[in-house]
Amino acid sequence: MEIDARLLQFGGSLIAILVLAWLALALRLGPRPKLVGHHDAAQAAGEVQDGFAAVESAVAADGSAAVLRDPVGKIMVLKEHGTHFAGRVLTASARASIEGNTLSIDSGERRFGAVTLNIEAPQAWADAINRLGKR
Amino acid sequence: MIDLPAFSVTQIAVPLFVAAILIEMAWAKYRARDAYEPKDTLVSLAFGLGSTVSGALFGGFALAIFIGAYEYRLFDISENWWGPLWAWPLVFVLDDLKYYWVHRAGHRIRWMWAAHVNHHSSQHYNLSTALRQTWTGSFTFGFILALPLVLLGFHPGMIAVCGAINLVYQFWIHTEAIDRMPRWFEAVMNTPSHHRVHHATNPRYLDRNYAGVFIVWDKMFGTFEPEREDEQIRYGIIKQLGSFNLLWAVFHEWIGMIGDIWRAPWRHKLSYLLREPGWTHDNSRETSDMIRERWRERTNASDGLGEGGQIPVADRNPIADSPEAA
Repeated sequence: MEIDARLLQFGGSLIAILVLAWLALALRLGPRPKLVGHHDAAQAAGEVQDGFAAVESAVAADGSAAVLRDPVGKIMVLKEHGTHFAGRVLTASARASIEGNTLSIDSGERRFGAVTLNIEAPQAWADAINRLGKR
Repeated sequence: MIDLPAFSVTQIAVPLFVAAILIEMAWAKYRARDAYEPKDTLVSLAFGLGSTVSGALFGGFALAIFIGAYEYRLFDISENWWGPLWAWPLVFVLDDLKYYWVHRAGHRIRWMWAAHVNHHSSQHYNLSTALRQTWTGSFTFGFILALPLVLLGFHPGMIAVCGAINLVYQFWIHTEAIDRMPRWFEAVMNTPSHHRVHHATNPRYLDRNYAGVFIVWDKMFGTFEPEREDEQIRYGIIKQLGSFNLLWAVFHEWIGMIGDIWRAPWRHKLSYLLREPGWTHDNSRETSDMIRERWRERTNASDGLGEGGQIPVADRNPIADSPEAA
């Protein structure tokens, strides 16, 4: 009897949380963020790692991601995550590939996932990222 | 056989939680649409639901310890969980003091942080974030800090009720919809403003404002930091997850910690369990203290303003330009 009541409570709670999440969707909460140019990307990078001073960046055409380099050659990738951005300073386990103008970056962290950016001249970035593994 | 309350304070409060989230969503619709994100909300609420299951499955261990310890109490304060009346304010305040230290340990000891990080892993700060409760708290040792209360003679049921009221109190402070409470209230109580600081990843704010109900503990023990108008907050954890995978959000720090212990030289293994998050034996990562120190050196100013008065942190806090309470 007690188990039945608990199951009922669990089921009711599950329905309630699904309804609340659906409501957030229906109210169009959580607009996608957009990076507009170097300043935006550099600021977001400074939030990911305090003090990261980007001197060069490439922002995806749709503003959903960016790749940046600081004065000592550290490279950071940013991707949209909900209404914010999340990022990683790339390490030797990172890999990059290109297809046309699309740069695909695998940060080396499976759960962070791959980031794709449509940018001009992606080759230089891909080379720089792939060089991280050869240092 | 010890008698325990036949009700759950937190379960009674659930309709209130739902109603308050609905109201905050309506506020967000018109004032700050980025205060909520559907997937983030779903993850936060799933955390809340899962934590009730986890508590039902594993919470009995701590309770059994309390009941056992109660047999060795110093004073007979009450024979049952509901009395005497004079004991309630006393146990509530003492339990809140206990909460402060458990919470502080939750941020300063990686074993504890592995469970508590769940509550901080959202980059949003809203009432659904309050329900982002741990599934793995029973696998830490925070409950030990409640033992002195039990040994003093406070009934375990009474302590449990106070703990639940404490948790329910903390629900409403997870919001950006309220700017500041009256000055007298801000001085004594934990508030949305104080707790926003606690959830911030700005270097200045890291590991500050651990209070549950009374902010006076932080002021007393040197961990208080007021929210500043000129420094806008970013929320979450130092290494943001970048994923809405619920199970990853629940277990990522446990996996990271166990991996670190596994790989570490023998003489450092225990440190990965008991030292602060971010500590490494080879300085390959940073603790909150190291991040704050580096930030201080970089900005070259104790008040946090960088060169030329630039604010070195994010400016995405929607309440920043609307100082009046919503």
